[in-house]
Amino acid sequence: MDIVEVNNLCKTYGKGEAKVEALKHVSFSLQKGEFAAVIGESGSGKSTLLNCVGALDEPTGGKILIDGQDLFAMPEEKRAIFRRRNIGFIFQSFHLIPELNVEQNIIFPLLLDYKKPDAGRVEEILEVLGLKERRRHLPGQLSGGQQQRVAIGRALITRPKLILADEPTGNLDRKNSQEVMELLTKASGQFQQTILMITHNPNLITSVDRVMQVSDGILKDLGGKVNEKLS
Amino acid sequence: MKNYLDLIPISAKIHRRQTCMTRWCIVISVFLIAAIFGMADMFLQSQKNLAVMQDGAWHVMFREITEEQAALLAARPEVKSLTRYAATNYKLDMDYKVEGVQTVLCGFDETFFTICPGIPLLSGDFPRETGEALVSESMSGRLGLSVGDPVEVETPDGSLPFKISGVVADTAMMLKTDAFGVFMNTDTYLSCFRDVTLSEDFAYYVEFVPRCRIQKAIGDICGQLHISKEKVSENAKLMGTMMQSSDRYIWMLYVIAFILAVLVAVSGMMMILGSMNSSVAKRTEFFGMMRCLGATAKQVRHYVRIEALFWCLKAIPVGLLLSVVTVCGLCRMLRVLTPTWFSEMPGFGVSLPGMFCGILIGLLTVLAASRTPARKASEVSPLTAVSGNADTVFAARRAAHTGWMHVETALGLHHAAGSRKHLVLLTSSFAFSIILFLGFGIGVDFMGHAIVTLRPYTPDVAIVSHDNLCEIPDSLYEKLKENPNVRRIFGRGFAYDLSAYMQGESKTVMLISYEAYQFGWAKSSLLQGDIESARNGHGVLLVEKPGFVSAPGSEIELETDRGTRTVSVSGVLKNAPFDSGEGAGTLICSEELFRELTGKTGYTILDIQLRDQSDAVVEEIRKTAGEAYGFSDSRESNRENRAVYFSFALFVYGFLAVVALIAAFNIINSIAMSVSARMRQYGAMRAIGISIRQLQFMIAAETLTYLVGGLAEGLLFGLPLHYYLYQWAITERWGDAWSLPVWEILVIAAVMIASAAAAMTGPVRRIREMSVVETIGI
Repeated sequence: MDIVEVNNLCKTYGKGEAKVEALKHVSFSLQKGEFAAVIGESGSGKSTLLNCVGALDEPTGGKILIDGQDLFAMPEEKRAIFRRRNIGFIFQSFHLIPELNVEQNIIFPLLLDYKKPDAGRVEEILEVLGLKERRRHLPGQLSGGQQQRVAIGRALITRPKLILADEPTGNLDRKNSQEVMELLTKASGQFQQTILMITHNPNLITSVDRVMQVSDGILKDLGGKVNEKLS
Repeated sequence: MKNYLDLIPISAKIHRRQTCMTRWCIVISVFLIAAIFGMADMFLQSQKNLAVMQDGAWHVMFREITEEQAALLAARPEVKSLTRYAATNYKLDMDYKVEGVQTVLCGFDETFFTICPGIPLLSGDFPRETGEALVSESMSGRLGLSVGDPVEVETPDGSLPFKISGVVADTAMMLKTDAFGVFMNTDTYLSCFRDVTLSEDFAYYVEFVPRCRIQKAIGDICGQLHISKEKVSENAKLMGTMMQSSDRYIWMLYVIAFILAVLVAVSGMMMILGSMNSSVAKRTEFFGMMRCLGATAKQVRHYVRIEALFWCLKAIPVGLLLSVVTVCGLCRMLRVLTPTWFSEMPGFGVSLPGMFCGILIGLLTVLAASRTPARKASEVSPLTAVSGNADTVFAARRAAHTGWMHVETALGLHHAAGSRKHLVLLTSSFAFSIILFLGFGIGVDFMGHAIVTLRPYTPDVAIVSHDNLCEIPDSLYEKLKENPNVRRIFGRGFAYDLSAYMQGESKTVMLISYEAYQFGWAKSSLLQGDIESARNGHGVLLVEKPGFVSAPGSEIELETDRGTRTVSVSGVLKNAPFDSGEGAGTLICSEELFRELTGKTGYTILDIQLRDQSDAVVEEIRKTAGEAYGFSDSRESNRENRAVYFSFALFVYGFLAVVALIAAFNIINSIAMSVSARMRQYGAMRAIGISIRQLQFMIAAETLTYLVGGLAEGLLFGLPLHYYLYQWAITERWGDAWSLPVWEILVIAAVMIASAAAAMTGPVRRIREMSVVETIGI
């Protein structure tokens, strides 16, 4: 079952001589539970791809379906609600809410839906993330690795169908990077969540199911399958 | 680029939007200070002009001093001019007349016209020769006299002939009392009237040289010339506007003005401080980057200070320009609307003290305000630039309470109250608007007490029965009513000292008849009962005063020439324009009932309001009335009243308008800055899935917290301030007790609520239009 369907996606910035084609007719799909990585040089268009898939940026052309729904056909408010229920975001700079503690940051998408969080689920995530002891800490009191784990917890709490991760280990050391990758792999394998991750780190793609490369806005599927070593 | 400081203009260009709000903040603060100080300066100038026109340009007056003392006084270096002045029959209670009309006789030196520009010489020359005299304009007009004509003044000792050398303008007092004036030089006056002039009616008016310390000069003069201080009177209004008064009350007003000036300065400082703090906090990452690249903490401090001065370069002139436009506008209004009184006001009202204060306080504030942000910026660790948390405006110390309220509300509240320092700064700047508004609101109370405003019933001219009898016939009333230049005419009959029996006691009352207009105006004074019954002749209105308190329905037995009649009280009035005197009450009834009770069919006074207020129309009315009745012309005193009120109201309401404007700007700017400082956070929330509506609630909760906090803090400090200022300015002088300034509070609260609502629209629009990707930099 396809969770992400991208057809003929184009994204252009600027006009005239300043025109930049960030994505050129990109098409691919991701199945449920698939963990895919997008690699590419800086400025190749990989972040643009992620932003378009997450409906943070509007494509110039083409179509994106998430779980069969066209996000850009929805009004803005509906799209925001869809996003918080169905897409989990993990950013390189974490983007945690500094006024909320670890637990509140994790359940933030549920709070936006005015839903009472399932205490068991919260405990489970805190346990998995190793943040149980720090649940009342503010982001400013955590290390980079811990902050990224909180961001992952926030992305997992709603059990979204799709997780988009933009350089999730970019600001982390090797040990923390490894831990983050283990968490993402677990999410994909154990909870059947589809993950699209952008990375520069060649070591990380060893843990993913599929690798795609973006170069000058063109996406190339490098293939790969579950547990296959690509390097 | 030759220096790292060259980054400042480049950064300003690139971050135009970010720095725009800070620059506007400086502009508005400078405008606030320069406009208020400029307006205060112009207000003092206008009141000085008014004082000179009303009471003269003299500073002090000496009475009962010897000629030798006067000569020594005139010779002193600090005395610019000394004018002798003497008057007889000033109260019109003596028998000095011209053609049967009561006449004021004055003698003065030629310099009188310089120190009293409000009484100008209209034609002819000053009477330098013995036997020459000036006459008042109305006397010249009514008797058909002109320069060179002879005139005889009837005195108790026979008549005195004079030759008219010129004509002077009437004073408001002479017009109102329908008196003539004959003025001569002091020597002529003394040769004719020395013996009949009371010692208190002989005075020496002294004008001091500019920049003289008048109080010290008075002390020196009194000490050296052995003049008792009781013989010295000050021109209170003029001295007050010159900040030279010795009057305790005027000094109290100076203290109030000083307090308000300090408040204005502090308010401007707080606005700039808040804005600069926020501006620096927003660029923590940038300063961290500078530190990363090797800038020393001192260099960063220097950068922030120079940047603040760079903003001042444009912001201060713009603020000054705005203040000049405001002050000029007010001066122009004053000149155009009351040219007689304020023609001396500068057309291009640049107030140098105002501008100086604006520049000085603006610059000092910016430099002082940049100290803390400069220190903060220099303390940013290089690590902050790359840690990913550099976008935190004020680092949170505790988590928001999301347990019992929606997350957006909890975050909004936390954004406002999470940092105590931030909250105090913001609410204090909101509170200052209320404190300033309440402080300046005292001006309205002062104006209400100090200036007698024209009432709807104030007449332009009046025809008055000489002996307060009801002798003005209906026919005259009817005739004048038909005059097309008469807008309104209303008469009253007075019956004095009637015996009345009310509430088991015998009392004395004054009975007055009203017609429809006057009953209409009385409605605003009604305490109990109704006006209609009295208007229809079914009862009387009682004016409440000690000893005359009654309820509608109670009965009064009145003894008149026609016997004893019982009337019922149909309404009780708080006050009336007439005073019945100590121990006497006032009853008001319809004309029909008045005539029925007293048997008197005429009027004691006919008040007339005119459509055309020209002299020709007044002369026509005077002729219609004839010489049998007194004639009172109040046009000049009304004009004076209007000018005083207008000049006061223009500046008092001008101050309040500026304060309200500043409150509105401050709120809009503070909210915009607070939102703009958290834009990255809002962007991240948008990415996670917060809706615009939820963000709107978040901003509303934050705004509401500032608003409620600001209102509470403003009232907490503003009300005691209002109380004390009221005590000093009003209770001290007029004895009125302080009451809660409900209207002031409602107006400023409405301005603040409306501004807060307006303040949210801009940031919400920006959030709606923002690109999440660009905002959070992914």
